Amino acid sequence: MNPHPHAREDLAQAAASRGALTVSGLDKSFDIGGKPRKILDGINLNVRPGEFVSIVGASGCGKSTLLRLIAGLDTDYSGELRLDGDRIATTSLDRGIVFQDHRLFPWMTLEQNVELALLNTDTPKSRRAQIVADHIALVNLKGFEKAYPHQLSGGMAQRAAIARALVTEPKLLLLDEPLGALDALTRVHVQNELQRIWMAQRSTMVMVTHDVEEALYLGDRVIVMSPNPGRIRRIVEVDLPHPRDRRAPLLHRLKDEILAELTSGADAAESADNLVHLPSREAR
Amino acid sequence: MAFPQGKAVAAAWAAPVALLALWQVACLSGLFPPQVLVPPSVVAQALADMAASGELQRHVGDSLYRLLVGFAIGAGAGMVFGAALALSRLVEAVLSPLFLTLWQVPVIAFVPLMVMFLGIDEPFKIAVVAIAAFFPMALATFDGIRGVPRNWFDVAKVYRLSLLQLIRRILLPATVPAVLTGLRISLTRAWVVLVAAELLAADSGIGQMMEMGRQLFQIDVVLAGVVVSGLIGFLLDRGARWVESRATRWRTA
Repeated sequence: MNPHPHAREDLAQAAASRGALTVSGLDKSFDIGGKPRKILDGINLNVRPGEFVSIVGASGCGKSTLLRLIAGLDTDYSGELRLDGDRIATTSLDRGIVFQDHRLFPWMTLEQNVELALLNTDTPKSRRAQIVADHIALVNLKGFEKAYPHQLSGGMAQRAAIARALVTEPKLLLLDEPLGALDALTRVHVQNELQRIWMAQRSTMVMVTHDVEEALYLGDRVIVMSPNPGRIRRIVEVDLPHPRDRRAPLLHRLKDEILAELTSGADAAESADNLVHLPSREAR
Repeated sequence: MAFPQGKAVAAAWAAPVALLALWQVACLSGLFPPQVLVPPSVVAQALADMAASGELQRHVGDSLYRLLVGFAIGAGAGMVFGAALALSRLVEAVLSPLFLTLWQVPVIAFVPLMVMFLGIDEPFKIAVVAIAAFFPMALATFDGIRGVPRNWFDVAKVYRLSLLQLIRRILLPATVPAVLTGLRISLTRAWVVLVAAELLAADSGIGQMMEMGRQLFQIDVVLAGVVVSGLIGFLLDRGARWVESRATRWRTA
């Protein structure tokens, strides 16, 4: 439980100057049945270094596609994607990503999985074991270094995936519904962990989620997207210091607002009446 | 599954012992002429005699040698072919229909043709084993490689793995379970086909020993061959399963 002091210092210093993401005029189309179909339309977004930005939206609004583009896993887009001024053309160790499924390799121990991320970094071999151990400690998995993925619970495996993504000390960490597959209790627990990790690392994080509460609890800003084609509908500032209290009235008020926003689109008009009332019942 | 070790061993022996008892009872009943249904005690005696004279060891040794060489060639080629089929759409398009058709032909059906070309000496038997081992191995390798989740390639890309690193660290370990299962299946299949081929045409080996016994009406020798070939097949399967579980301990542990 003692994160590497050196790594921490580096991060604290670097946080101010790195991890600025610029998205401007981003368009993305897929070929569906021979016809191009627009998935993302004119996305403009500036993420400040060290900021935590959440993206919410109905399924099909292109939020995961946006994350894959930022990660460099898909490079077929028009518009501008830049990290600290450099155009994103492929994947990079500067940009880490955590997927919804943990994607740990089952034949590797937790330790080996995390260390794999360092394979092509210039981290000296002699320091790797220590760095891996530090990041396993960071996600509170000390004692499970030799465990295989199937021996970990869903929440633990997801935290292991977070450790793997952070071990390269990326300027930007992308989280693609990282907690989507977890049960409600584990989810809350890993959300708290994620907040603690972000506060310790202070790297820029962009998280896609369909859980509005989660988006608000973690995000400095919440980007609300609408589908067909994916557009940014609204950007909500969450003006609360971290660590946050889940019961904060502001969070609940914003949650109601965003849910109303998400469900009041033209395509959801007829069901809006039903859906808008649900959150207020939940909030009580 | 949740059996205590001792009970599991006892359970495993129950059926063979019962079969032996039934066999002995059938012999004593006098329903079948003793030349046709030889009692287990006589078969055991025949086995002991052949072991004492070294005849049994010679036949088993010859058969195992053919199995080993033929299997190494067939499984090796199957692995390469299966990998090529999985990695290249072109190879798959050109060769997979032919491959899948040939796979449906019983290996024994190739025997007459092969005897004409290769004679009945070692090359023929090794070739039969190689063919028997080739098909299941190729198929298992193909499935193993095609079964690697696409998601894992994303992870490899995110961490900037080179092609060599991708093969060594992801593709090879990911296909190990399927390949080992393929090795086990092709090994036991090859054994069965070899014994059958030796029954048809050979000058030595466990199958030929049985065929000679049949021609000389020594049914005890035929049955001894049945027992030995069954035991060897069982041990091959068990051995391969052991290797499999050792090599893929991360799956269950």
